[in-house]
Amino acid sequence: MPTPGSEDLNLIVATALSLTDGKVCFVGIGVPSLAAMLAKRTHAPGLVQIYESGAIDADPAIPPLSTGSPCIPDSSMMLGDCLDVFGDLQAGRIDIGLLSAAQVDRYGNLNSTVIGDYQTPKLRMVGSGGAHDIATLAPKTIILMPHQPRRFVDFVDFITSPGTTDSAGRPHPRPANTGPSELVTGRGRFNFSSGSLTLAETFAPFSREEALEGITFAVDLDPDFREMVALPSESLALAAKLAE
Amino acid sequence: MTATAKKVRKSKLIPLADAIGDHLEDGATVFIGGFGHSVPFAAAHEFIRQGKRDLTLCRAGADILFDQAIAAGCVKKVIFGYIGNPGVGLARSFSRALAEGTIEMEEWTNFSMVLRLHAARLGVPFLPAEILRAGDIAGGSIDVRTVTCPYTGRELSAIPALRPDVALIHAQRADEAGNVQFWGIDGDTREGALASNKVIATVEEIVSSETIASSPERTMVPAHRVAAVSLAPGGAHPSYVEDCYDRDDAHFTEYDDIARKPESIAAYLDKYVRGVADRAGYLGLFDHARLDGLGLADKAGRDK
Repeated sequence: MPTPGSEDLNLIVATALSLTDGKVCFVGIGVPSLAAMLAKRTHAPGLVQIYESGAIDADPAIPPLSTGSPCIPDSSMMLGDCLDVFGDLQAGRIDIGLLSAAQVDRYGNLNSTVIGDYQTPKLRMVGSGGAHDIATLAPKTIILMPHQPRRFVDFVDFITSPGTTDSAGRPHPRPANTGPSELVTGRGRFNFSSGSLTLAETFAPFSREEALEGITFAVDLDPDFREMVALPSESLALAAKLAE
Repeated sequence: MTATAKKVRKSKLIPLADAIGDHLEDGATVFIGGFGHSVPFAAAHEFIRQGKRDLTLCRAGADILFDQAIAAGCVKKVIFGYIGNPGVGLARSFSRALAEGTIEMEEWTNFSMVLRLHAARLGVPFLPAEILRAGDIAGGSIDVRTVTCPYTGRELSAIPALRPDVALIHAQRADEAGNVQFWGIDGDTREGALASNKVIATVEEIVSSETIASSPERTMVPAHRVAAVSLAPGGAHPSYVEDCYDRDDAHFTEYDDIARKPESIAAYLDKYVRGVADRAGYLGLFDHARLDGLGLADKAGRDK
């Protein structure tokens, strides 16, 4: 069982804290669903969880393996379809998207498609699914990333999901007021207030240096930077239970 | 319409082997229904048994059914938004086929796949959308053109219609006439079925037309859009069917190991697909206690 202060639990708890009560959130499988489940059970009972399979206002009892898994319809207030939920997303009726990926650059561009060359990849991954759609259309996207330096790269091998700008700093063609709002690791919270990755806080027991350890590109520091913020212990305990 | 009048309709209920043999041709573009829920494994295993070739398989979220069909040598091309083993890992046979250069792909996103099917359903050549103007997906394996809105001047992606030849779907029930009732997680199943020129449905049970008419809101595809319906209880295993049986999560995990090596996936297909005649035979290979735990024990030995 993970111990308090463990990066896995910090990632779940810190992401959950960004999910405000009453917001409508497009949730994916893995840590995103754990974070949404935790938020719903703590400070955000009115959080509306939407899954790409068409499940609306879901509250799964256990972490789902697939967006179509039985625990999702068993706990949903409405079963629509993909067109309903992606349509709502494009129409601006969903507030927050949660995404993870294999690689991220300083602009929040995400790769979940290939490692290596697209035509002859070293590793072929699952592709976008709904990730590109969420990253392009959600007013706020929270990126969840374990603190593994190999995931933080100068240039992602393939831009599956667009960040703030492309790697040359040019704005991506996309609807206004959309894009990544934060990136959370098990060690700290980053934002994109400067247009590129900016460290906003670290979680106890991690220092500023530890939150940036191994990241080779320059990371800005938020003017309101806070170090070793204590995450709520009851949330950490509940996260451990949900992740079991 | 009276129940008597419905009875004179021609029955579309035929054995699955005939449905696939009669309606799914080599080279066809085939939509695969089921979004985690109600994935038509029985129908896919039947086209693998029949040695169908050069198929183009399409859907938004492609799971291990695609991987099995690729490993079996039935697939020329895949069109998808996601391809993998949901919650478990990667599409291993697909990755091998890509590396060997034996498969073509069109890689989209889940939303754009749904829009492609919806456009076909509506009978229009494309639908405008805000996605696929940024990033590397457009220009990767696909060419996405843009369109200028005649009202606002705004530039949008023009997502082209995708009209499959055949849809394979699995559902809870149908009548002999072919009215197919489906409930639970839908994903892109309804869009894909109604976008396709022909629908082949497998179902858990055949019910009377009176039963269908007692809850017509559950009908996903009406009889006149269905080419064939076949009884295949347990036909979605290892996925699940709402109100019928549970998802066999362990099987998806086991499959990840099986698909890692060409020899082990070949052995799997020989045993579980080519080595059996039908779905009842397939289910008969599993431990009774395991099937019982999923609510599937009574399904073995029932399809005809």
